Amino acid sequence: MLTAWASILLLLGVVVAGLVVVYGVSMWLAPARSVGEVEPFSGGFAPEQHAFSRFHVRWYPITMIFLAFDMEMLFMYPWVKVVSEVGVAAVVEMFLFLAILFAGVLYAGREGAFRWT
Amino acid sequence: MSEAVPPWAVVILPIALVSVAVVTVGFDAVLSAAAVRGRPGSLRELGFRAAAPLREVLRLLVQPSRRTTAADTALGRIGVVLVPVAAVLAGAVLPLGFRSLSDPTVGIVWFNAMEALAWAAVWLTGWGPNSALSLIGGYRFLAQGLAYELPHMFAITTAALGAESLQVGEVVAAQDGLWFAVWMPVAFFVYLLSAMAMSFWGPFGHPLGRDAAGGAAMELSGVDRLVFLGGRWLLMVVTAGVSVPLFLGGGHGPLLPAWAWTLVKTALVLAALVAGRRLLPTLRMERYTEFAWLVLVPATLLQALVVAVVVLNR
Amino acid sequence: MDLRSRLRRRAVQSPVVLVAVLPGATELRLDVEAELRRRGWDIAGAPAVADLLVVCGSPDPDVGRRLDTLRRAMPQPALRVDVSRPGRAAQALDEGLALLSERAASPSESASGHEDAGAGEHQAHSGSGSAPAEPGHGAPHGHEHQHPGHEAAGHTEQDAHGGHGGHDHHAMSTVAGLPMADRADDRDGLRLDRLLLPLGPVLADWPAGLILRCALQGDIVQEVRVDRLPGPPDGTSFWNEPWLRASRGEPVALGVGARRRCAAHLDSLGRLLSLAGWGDPAARLRRLRDEVLDGAPAGQCGERLRAVAGRVERSRTLRWGLAGLGRLPAERARRWGVTGPALEADGDVHDRLLVWLREARRAVRDFDDVRPLPAGELIGPRGTVGGSRPPSQALLDVLPELLAGAEFGCARLIVASLDPDVDESVAVSAGDGAHV
Repeated sequence: MLTAWASILLLLGVVVAGLVVVYGVSMWLAPARSVGEVEPFSGGFAPEQHAFSRFHVRWYPITMIFLAFDMEMLFMYPWVKVVSEVGVAAVVEMFLFLAILFAGVLYAGREGAFRWT
Repeated sequence: MSEAVPPWAVVILPIALVSVAVVTVGFDAVLSAAAVRGRPGSLRELGFRAAAPLREVLRLLVQPSRRTTAADTALGRIGVVLVPVAAVLAGAVLPLGFRSLSDPTVGIVWFNAMEALAWAAVWLTGWGPNSALSLIGGYRFLAQGLAYELPHMFAITTAALGAESLQVGEVVAAQDGLWFAVWMPVAFFVYLLSAMAMSFWGPFGHPLGRDAAGGAAMELSGVDRLVFLGGRWLLMVVTAGVSVPLFLGGGHGPLLPAWAWTLVKTALVLAALVAGRRLLPTLRMERYTEFAWLVLVPATLLQALVVAVVVLNR
Repeated sequence: MDLRSRLRRRAVQSPVVLVAVLPGATELRLDVEAELRRRGWDIAGAPAVADLLVVCGSPDPDVGRRLDTLRRAMPQPALRVDVSRPGRAAQALDEGLALLSERAASPSESASGHEDAGAGEHQAHSGSGSAPAEPGHGAPHGHEHQHPGHEAAGHTEQDAHGGHGGHDHHAMSTVAGLPMADRADDRDGLRLDRLLLPLGPVLADWPAGLILRCALQGDIVQEVRVDRLPGPPDGTSFWNEPWLRASRGEPVALGVGARRRCAAHLDSLGRLLSLAGWGDPAARLRRLRDEVLDGAPAGQCGERLRAVAGRVERSRTLRWGLAGLGRLPAERARRWGVTGPALEADGDVHDRLLVWLREARRAVRDFDDVRPLPAGELIGPRGTVGGSRPPSQALLDVLPELLAGAEFGCARLIVASLDPDVDESVAVSAGDGAHV
């Protein structure tokens, strides 16, 4: 009988082994890999520039709001285990906290942060 | 509640997940072929269509990989293999009946952590080949993550709250009488949406969209493509499968043994997703994000509040 | 034959096909698509996926060379077959399959020869490409330059050249024969990397022969220049054929025109829905398109169309996803000279989709009408045929304005919702068309 984490570690080993087998079978089956590089595809014409560039996204503000909530989850996971133990206070405090965060979401929503077309 | 499993289950689990995935892809292929080519004329034809995914596996195994100009092969390949690895590791907490390979006290957090690896996986895969369209696909998944992840986390926390435990086995045990899906319908519905979103599949397939010629996966060929797309189906099977212990009572049910109930419920969820996918076009994040944050987040929060009140009065 | 050869041969029995459609080859494309469906072979979205490159049409030498480069971008053993005459699709695919099986079983001798030639030509090309690169400035294929984007060195070099000082026209450094993206103002007043990307012509669900030379900032289309592959000299378009014939005084039955109009709209709808990520109705409409062209009875076509069209029209998710994209009010459309469905729709991508569905359903009623097409009224699927400007010219002309500022995915949907037919003798403003 393995502990919970030991069996997960073992599982990781099995998955990696499985992937090695799959790649091995492919190396045996597939003709020799081409050594040359091919041009990236965008419809048949050669690219004029490298695609690696500073990629502009219109959803940067959402990442900030997301981080706030993601941190909040750190509190919420342990909280679920003590709700009935702590009682009403636990529920009131957690949802007050969530309500404050959500007020920020409403504000951002009104500013149009969640829609970018 | 959960019982011990023999050590060789560590080999059985990946095989079982792959088998379920193959059947699911076969079902999907049959439905797709019906739209493209009409009803199958014979049972033999139906079988041939269902076997299409297996032929595709062989095709990709034989196909050599290639590299694009100045590609970042190392990061790209890490992204590719991360998908199946994350999927199977997330599946470690998946109980068959009441037995799972591993039932850590923070099983739900573990599942959440593993599926979140998809963020890195898809972005790295899109970044790797130095190709504009694949990069667009990779970034699309980050936007998708920002939209689905939060309602998703509230949904699984709600299930954990119902059982007051983060251990999957205890969540199943808490549904001995009433399934969580019955009195947490919002959380269940949101969970199903996010199961599709995190496996970037179906209506949430925009990161691999046809409009970007295949998006993050567009420069993948051969075994890399097999591992990435196969891993995506594994992820889909695992996330759909986890809805059974979290919301559908796990192995609980009359007459049939617990493992059979798990299989039946998982099959029904997968069939519903695969068939239901045909009803919806792709949800693009520049529209969906608003819905996720302004509708799904408050809805799941209210759901969590209702469950918290019930828990207090239990 | 050993196990390995058998498996290799077996693996290519249902090849995935990349279809390259040249201008003027719509009929050939329809042939090839129908044949692929009959065989159950998939159509690839990108060369990485494909085993077989099927070219519809007869490429001129320049385009032919480009297609060969594309073929070399496919995993080995990649093959190219050309379909240059109607009715030859099945034969060409058979030949392709036979050759593919042969190559697959003995990859060593044939593939290596190909690859050597390929690598040489490819390298030669990246030096003389259209990009304003200085060949030889960077090590063309050096291993130390493999990761230009995420290496700090790449950015430092760029910043040192022109970054913070404000003048960004620094001497362009090249890595592996290509420069990095330059910077420019974006629509929100930020100064960001601007990636030049030629889009098309070999894309799935894309008007044949169309090339959009895009400047992208992230996935936002900042600017677009419309370009095209050289087309058929006479400018005959398959979709406009009945009306063109009628304009020359030939007797053409109304029903023939109705069938062609219906099929043209179904073809466009298939593209648009496929890009909207709704493969199921897209596939059904495409199958119906081929039945309409094959002369299936009007009753059967009408019934099937009603079923699918109802689903599409009722979908609120589709409306939610498409509404507001590529808005083209009738007044503005008229100013650009747009006629046909895009003018009638008087609105966004979703409105244009609804007009196509409505017109397709209306056309089905006239399938069996044997009266001749009235010679005065020559309205093809995309607008008025026979004037000084073909209807797709106006659709191409509005593109730059509609696409500027759109998300990449939205831009594809907008193009598909206008679906300009490059087979018509449209001209592009940038002079002599595509430089290959």
